[in-house]
Amino acid sequence: MAVNELEVRRSSASVLGFLGGARKLPTVSKYIDTSTCIGCKACEIACQEWNDLPEVATVQAGSYQTLPDLHAGYWNLIRFNEMEHGDTLVWLMRKDQCMHCEDPGCLEACPAPGAIVQYANGIVDVNPDKCIGCAYCASGCPFNVPKFAEKTGKMQKCTLCVDRSRVGLEPACVKSCPTGCLHFGTKDDMLSLAKGRVAQLKATGFAQAAVYDPPGVGGTAVVTVLAHGDHPEWYGLPKDPQVPLGVKLWKGFLRPLGFLAVLGAVVGAFGHHLYHGNKGHVDPGPRDPDETGTAA
Amino acid sequence: MSSVKRQIGFDEAAFDARTAENVVVGGEIVRHRLSSRVIHWTVANTFFLCLLTGLPIWTPVFGWLGNLFGGLSVCRILHPYFGVAFFLASLTMFVHWSREMKMTREERGWVGPRLLAYLRDAENHEKIGKYNGGQKVFFYTSFLASLGLLASGIVGWFPLSFPQGVRIAAIIVHDVTFVLFLVSIVFHIYLATTAEPGTFNAMTRGTVSKAWARIHHPKWYRELLGNGKR
Repeated sequence: MAVNELEVRRSSASVLGFLGGARKLPTVSKYIDTSTCIGCKACEIACQEWNDLPEVATVQAGSYQTLPDLHAGYWNLIRFNEMEHGDTLVWLMRKDQCMHCEDPGCLEACPAPGAIVQYANGIVDVNPDKCIGCAYCASGCPFNVPKFAEKTGKMQKCTLCVDRSRVGLEPACVKSCPTGCLHFGTKDDMLSLAKGRVAQLKATGFAQAAVYDPPGVGGTAVVTVLAHGDHPEWYGLPKDPQVPLGVKLWKGFLRPLGFLAVLGAVVGAFGHHLYHGNKGHVDPGPRDPDETGTAA
Repeated sequence: MSSVKRQIGFDEAAFDARTAENVVVGGEIVRHRLSSRVIHWTVANTFFLCLLTGLPIWTPVFGWLGNLFGGLSVCRILHPYFGVAFFLASLTMFVHWSREMKMTREERGWVGPRLLAYLRDAENHEKIGKYNGGQKVFFYTSFLASLGLLASGIVGWFPLSFPQGVRIAAIIVHDVTFVLFLVSIVFHIYLATTAEPGTFNAMTRGTVSKAWARIHHPKWYRELLGNGKR
């Protein structure tokens, strides 16, 4: 969803790396309090409606969850997790969508210039005009978010309603939430809101309550409050998400090294020729009587 | 051959090179018959198609190459098909030449020191037959590379069918194999053209001069012409 009015901070497959910086915009953020989510799925419907996404057939897998996983046409999914905690059953609901990482693995892995951008306000977005559908972004994402759309051959995911947020509106999911477990604002505001809620949870018996803002990806523009903060995996969240080591190794080391190796081969071949000249230029003989012409 | 054909400038060596190999025709020796050359150039051309569609995906520095095919999205679609064609051609080449490329124990030194000695013109050529050890090593490594590129390329072609870890490993294998292969291709092209005049002809017209054979492949030369009798 390329939005030209927003300055791009970072772009995929950019030779020079960082762009932008002319405007200073605060990073926007979505606050999700998993402890007050009631699993009503209003956000799922709001997302479908605002983004004009097609209907996706639901999959019944023994819980209230709409689909087993995010989908190219379903960018917002409440995950219903049932965990046995001590002698009680905990029923955890978490709104899953793109986390809009500060250091996005998808953008890092993407080979198509401008196909994934990070706007000045921190939103990470796929530009379908530039996307080549290679799914490298899915390989770079520690949250398994970008999905391939069979119909368009492009990758699709939550845009954090960039078309709404750039004109000062909250994302559709936040607008629709009836319990107030979703909020939208600057990252700083959302973090302080989350910290306040964590303090409340701790005071009411959830000693391990925590804010999920993983430093491994530079923090995320989705700030999640977890009552069981010591067990993000109970919510289907990775404990310490990182841009995969293989992706970093490939882009940061192997590719530049490969570039130098190929360049070195070309320079080496030229150098060899300058230094050694032609092989066979001087005929060592002995020459056969019926040989005519030269080696070349 | 009829004398009429001779009179009108019939190219006997080129005619013979359609089917015969390792035969002396006048002052020339047929080194690669037509089928060998067609197979080689099929491998080469499918390789270049892969290279031109792959480089812009490899790095944005070569993004402009994508325009040759109608953009990066088209490259992403075409590259796997070119890749499969390249592999099939490589496989054909492997079968076609594998009998001639059997390595002797003594030739294994070409993997390291003898290759370097060869590049320094310090290698003793006396025992070199139709193919030297370096050519044989390149023959095997290029087939291995085509296998590695195929296996990792299939993962990249159908990424949704493989788990994330496999996909990342495939990207790295594809990348590293491609770079090593390209480096060896640069030297292959260099050695077959500027470095050793007369060599390129073996893969176009199919023939080399007797002097070329005597200088670069003395054992092969002796096999064809006898020990200096002719």
